Amino acid sequence: MTLDLTPEETTAIWLTLRVALVAVAASLPVAILVAWVLARCRFPGIVLFDAIVHLPLTLPPVVTGFLLLLVFGRRAPVGAFLAEHFGLVFSFRWTGAALAAAVMGFPLFVRAIRLSIEAVDRRLEDAASTLGAPRALVALTVTLPLILPGILAGGVLAFARAMGEFGATVTFVSNIPGETQTIASAIYTYTQVPGGDGPALRLTLISVVLSLGALVLSELLARRTRRAIGQTRP
Amino acid sequence: MRSLRTLLAAGVVALAGLATPLAAPQAQAADPIVVFAAVSLKGALDGAVALYEADGGAPVTVSYAGSSALAKQIESGAPADVFISADLDWMTYLAEKNLVRADTERRLLGNRIVLIAPNDGAKPVAIGPDFALTAALGDERLVLCDLAVPCGKYGKAALETLGVWGSVEGRIAFAENVRAALAFVSRGEAPYGIVYATDAAADPGVAVVGTFPEDSHPPIVYPVAVTADSKNPAAAAFVDFLATPKAGAVFEKAGFTMLGERPTTN
Amino acid sequence: MRLEVEVRHLQGGFRLDAAFASDAAVTALFGPSGSGKTTLVNILAGLIRPSEGRITLDGLALFDAARRIDVPVHKRGVGYVFQEARLFPHLSVRSNLGYGRRMAALAGRRGAADEFDRVVALLGISALLDRKPAGLSGGEAQRVAIGRALLARPRLLLMDEPLAALDTARKAEILPYLEQVAAETRVPIVYVSHSVPEVVRLAGTVVAMDHGRVVACGPADKVIGGLDATASDDAGAVLDAVVAGEEADGLTRLDTNAGPLLVPAVGRPTGARLRLLVRARDVLVASEHPQGLSALNVLPATVTVIGAPHGAAVEVTLAAGSATLHARLTRRAVETLALAAGRPCFAIVKASTLADESAPPPPWLTP
Repeated sequence: MTLDLTPEETTAIWLTLRVALVAVAASLPVAILVAWVLARCRFPGIVLFDAIVHLPLTLPPVVTGFLLLLVFGRRAPVGAFLAEHFGLVFSFRWTGAALAAAVMGFPLFVRAIRLSIEAVDRRLEDAASTLGAPRALVALTVTLPLILPGILAGGVLAFARAMGEFGATVTFVSNIPGETQTIASAIYTYTQVPGGDGPALRLTLISVVLSLGALVLSELLARRTRRAIGQTRP
Repeated sequence: MRSLRTLLAAGVVALAGLATPLAAPQAQAADPIVVFAAVSLKGALDGAVALYEADGGAPVTVSYAGSSALAKQIESGAPADVFISADLDWMTYLAEKNLVRADTERRLLGNRIVLIAPNDGAKPVAIGPDFALTAALGDERLVLCDLAVPCGKYGKAALETLGVWGSVEGRIAFAENVRAALAFVSRGEAPYGIVYATDAAADPGVAVVGTFPEDSHPPIVYPVAVTADSKNPAAAAFVDFLATPKAGAVFEKAGFTMLGERPTTN
Repeated sequence: MRLEVEVRHLQGGFRLDAAFASDAAVTALFGPSGSGKTTLVNILAGLIRPSEGRITLDGLALFDAARRIDVPVHKRGVGYVFQEARLFPHLSVRSNLGYGRRMAALAGRRGAADEFDRVVALLGISALLDRKPAGLSGGEAQRVAIGRALLARPRLLLMDEPLAALDTARKAEILPYLEQVAAETRVPIVYVSHSVPEVVRLAGTVVAMDHGRVVACGPADKVIGGLDATASDDAGAVLDAVVAGEEADGLTRLDTNAGPLLVPAVGRPTGARLRLLVRARDVLVASEHPQGLSALNVLPATVTVIGAPHGAAVEVTLAAGSATLHARLTRRAVETLALAAGRPCFAIVKASTLADESAPPPPWLTP
C-alpha cells in the first residue's frame, strides 16, 4: 500500500479540512452564546432548550440530515430566506456539508464551553464589576480568557466530529466528488465497490493521522493556554 | 413497525421459553426466520410476511438495509436465514463464497427504473436515445442512487445506453440510498431523480415523469436464497411462499413484477 | 465624606436590617461571623440588591428603593478588597493593577500620570509587577488587590476581612500598608472585621453588628468598651496614650488617660500618640495596693458598675483617671473582695499583655 493519492482523494482531503474548519469557525460564536445561556440563564423551558441543543447527539445522523433538508433545503423556509437575502445556498454545495458538520459537532462544542463557563469563579467577575467594568467588558476581559481552554477543547471535538461526519452530510447534500465528498463519504463510496478496500484504507489512515494531529495540537495549545491564564492542571 | 412487532413477539416467545422450560418443544419450533432484505422491499415484504404468519407460518423477523451491507454482514457471519438482494451481483457474491444454498436460489421479483420530479405539476419527459436530460436540468442536479447500490448501477447503465451519461456525469448528486434520493427530489433540492418504480409509487411527494426502456439496463431482478448457515427448517418454506400467487399479489400491488423463475446455475 | 446606610434585606432565612452613618476615615463593620457584615458590604458594592432602604455617599444616592435608584456596580465607584484577593489569574500583576484604570479611562476618567507609581510604592509591590498571581504569597496577593482597588479611583473602599485568610505574620505585614492607604489616599474605608485588635488599630467609627442588626455604632473606644467582656475574650477598654519615654531596661513609659503604664518597647518616638486595647481578661482587681506582685502596672481606680453574672464570670467596670477600664472577674472574687459600685480599688494590668496589643498609632491620629 502506498500513499500515492489520486486527485479525487486529495480533493476530498482538502475539502474535509475546509468543511471542518468552516464548520468550527462558523459555529464558534453561536456555541459560546448558547453555552452562556445554558450556563448562566434560568428561564422556563431551559430544559427543553438544552435537550434541543443536544438533539444531534441522540438522533440518527440520517434523521438530522433529513431535518436539515426540511429547514435549510432550497425550498424550505430558512433555506429559501438565506438564499434570497444572503445568496447563501446549501443545496449540494460544500457550504451545506459545513452546515451539517457544524450541526453534528454543535452539542460537543457547546458542552465543553458550558462546562468551562460553569467552572469560572464568578467572584472574579464581581471583582471586575467593582473595578468599573460594565457587564459586556467583564465577559470580554475576564470570562472569555478564562474559558479559552474550554473553547479550544470544544473546538477540537467539533472539528474531529466534523471530519468524521457522514450520515447527515450525505443525506443533506449528497456525496458529490469535489463538492460535498469529504474523506468520510469517500471512504464510504470506496467500501461499497469491489476492490475499493485499498483506497478506503489509505483514506482511513489519513483521517486517523489528521484527527490525531488535531487532538495533539489542541492538547499542546490547551496546556499553553492554561499556563498563560495561570491555571495549573490538577 | 411490523418487523418491530415481530421482534417484540419473538422476544416475548423467548422470555416465555425461559420462564417455562417444560413447554420447550413447542417454543423451539417457533424460532423466527431471520430475513435480510434490500431496503427497497420494505412495505411490500412486510405485507407478504403478515400473510405468511397469518397462514400459520413460522414468525419472521426482517432486517432491511442496502444489499451490499447485508451481503457483507452475512459474509461475516450474521445470523440470517434468508437473503433477498436488490440485484444479482450481491447474490452471486455470496454464492461464489458458498454462503447461500444454490438449490434455494430463485429470481423472485422484477422492477423498473423511472425518472421522477417533485410532485408539483412536472411535465412528462420523453425518454429515448440522446434525450434532452441536460437541458431539462438547467444548472441543477440529477439525483442518482450511489453507484454502489443497485438502483444507482441501473440508472447509470440506462443513461449510458441512451447516450446521455457523458453529458450529465458531472451534474449528478449521489444519494446514499433510494429513500434519500426520493427525499432530495420530493423536497425540491433537485428537479429530477432516478429511482425504482416501486419507490416512486410509495412517495406522494414525487411524480413519475418517464420510465426507462426495459432494454436500456440489465434486468432488475430481486433474487432470494436461503443462507448456507441457516439452521431454521422453515426458511425454505418461507422462500417458496414468497413465490406463490398469494404473496405475488402483494408485491405486484407495490409495483413489482413477479418473475418466480429459478435461475440456471452459471 | 459621609456614608449613610439604612437597608433591609431578606436572603434565605436571614434578615438584615441595618442602619448607620459615619464620616470617619475608617468605619469598621464589626461582629461575629454570620452577623451580616459581608451581606452589608455586598449591598454597599451593589453586588446584592436590598429589598428596601437607601444608601447615600456624600448625599448622592447609590441606592434608594423609594426613588428607584440602583446605581450599577460598575458605576458606583466603590472599590472592593475581598477576603481572598480575587486577582485575575490570566493577567500579570501589572495588568491586574491597571484593570480598574483602563476601565476608568474607557469611561472617560483619567487618573494622574504618577498615580500608578505612587500606589505601587505605597504598597511595596514594585518587584511583583511582572509576576502572575499564581506565583504570589497570600500577603503579596492581598497587597496587589488593595492596589488594584485603589487604582480604580474609588470614592469609597470596601475591605471585607482582607486579613482573615492570612497568618499572623502576613497580617502584621499588611496592617501598616492599610494604615498608609487610609492616611495617604483620603479614600474613606469601610473595613469588615471580627477582630477587636484590627478594629481598634484602624477604625474611627465602629459599627457593631449581630444577627443582621446594628447593635452599636460610635467611636471605637465607646463601642469596643461596651462589648460584653463575659462573652468575648477580646473585649476590653481602648485607651488613648502618648509615649512618655524609653526606660533603660527596654520598656516604654506611656501616659494614658487611665494613668501611667509601662509596656515593652513600641518603637515610637516620645510624644507619639497611640491607641491601646486593654482586654478585660487581662485586668485584675485588688481591694488594697498589692505588695510583692510581679505586675508593674497598678492603677488606682473606682468600681462603677458590677455587671450581671454569666455563669461564674462577672464584668466589673472601673473608672481610672479619665478612662474606663473593664475587668473580667469570677463571681467568687467579687464576693470575697466585697466589690460594689463606688468602692475604691486598684486595677492591675500586665505589661506583656499590653505589649501584644500595643498598636503603632493610626497615622491619622498622629499630629
